[in-house]
Amino acid sequence: MEYSNPEIPEGINTSKQHPLKDFFLLSFGVLGCIVICAFILGLFAERLALYIPFSVEQELMAKIELEEPAAGNTEYQAYLDELGKGLIAHMDIPEEITITVNYVDEPIENAFATLGGHIFIYQGLIDLLPNENALAMVIAHEIAHIKYRDPIAALGRGVVVGLFLTAITGASTDRYISNIISETGTLTILGFNRNQERRADEEALRVLADYYGHVNGADTLFKTFLKIEDEMDMHTPEFFSTHPLSEDRISNIEKLANKQQWSVKGDLTQLPGFIQDQAK
Amino acid sequence: MFDLILFLILLALGFGFGQYLEKRHYKSILKREDQLRHIPAIATKYLPAEFLPCTTTVVAGNVVISIDFFKKFVSGLRAIVGGRVSSYETLIDRARREALLRMKEQAVKQGANYVFNVKMETSSISKGRRDSIGSVEVLAYGTAIKTVDC
Repeated sequence: MEYSNPEIPEGINTSKQHPLKDFFLLSFGVLGCIVICAFILGLFAERLALYIPFSVEQELMAKIELEEPAAGNTEYQAYLDELGKGLIAHMDIPEEITITVNYVDEPIENAFATLGGHIFIYQGLIDLLPNENALAMVIAHEIAHIKYRDPIAALGRGVVVGLFLTAITGASTDRYISNIISETGTLTILGFNRNQERRADEEALRVLADYYGHVNGADTLFKTFLKIEDEMDMHTPEFFSTHPLSEDRISNIEKLANKQQWSVKGDLTQLPGFIQDQAK
Repeated sequence: MFDLILFLILLALGFGFGQYLEKRHYKSILKREDQLRHIPAIATKYLPAEFLPCTTTVVAGNVVISIDFFKKFVSGLRAIVGGRVSSYETLIDRARREALLRMKEQAVKQGANYVFNVKMETSSISKGRRDSIGSVEVLAYGTAIKTVDC
């Protein structure tokens, strides 16, 4: 009997397919499905969240104790309340929604709207603004978020899409796959965020036109942002951002003002003396 | 953003080096398989009578090969949808053939003409940890036969 090990043809135990083909098919297939699912779930969650009564938001926020403004800051608080009230009068806010403007004495360049109709304006942001019109744009923008109930929509979307992503990433044993999947889902969510921001910008611009009779100064904040981004050489692509790009926001303001024939020239209202003094 | 760039770099490095090393390894495997073809590796447990008398000795070849980042990523995606994990197939194929070759090389050193009762064991190193790069170990062993002319 003859014993031998003949040469066996290659490619029986291995695949002849190019590894990159498998990679592209899988990446686009799997990630594409995740984007579509996250998008659809996000859309439904957002719509459903709007059916949560505003009182539920208020109850949620009532459990969090908000700091009273310090004695020296009552002037700021009173001024922001006053300005807020003036803007709200032009905004056609549903009756059940209450809006509280909170002043925060911290050097953070930020302002945000959250559940229960709370808006937070930071000292750091006020310091960036040269006039009342620019500040009114910020406040009106945040009030617009509350008017459209963006915080609860974002919460609903975050919870549902987050749960979906956790379920998938939990099933995967690879850390990088989990990261890529959750990043993909998060980027899908950011798309919703940017749409909310655009809508709030538009509403705020309309309110400014109503309140001051012109929209001069509305784009001051974004121009300041643009300057800071240029100085710090910080240019994140829109795809990765929670907000639209500053240059797009500026051009949107111009376009909308043109379309609605709102005057872009007009007297700017000065900030009250105590704010100017502090800025100096 | 930074994470994504790092990830893409790792992926590209994994693909580049992985493919290069794999091609080089296959080339060496094919060459050595040709050189060692004169020592048949036979799976049968019982030695045919015609090989007696002979001297016997145990020979073993052992190899550990690590998977590259690219392959690991593709197989991770594959694990979500299911199907043939072609990126692992070449890894296992290389490991088994390399282990057999090392076993045969040992047999040559013993002056043997055949290896009978060849068996293989495959095990994965670094099981279970989520962020570890997986390696595969293959052990091939058998009984090397040196026929004695009477």
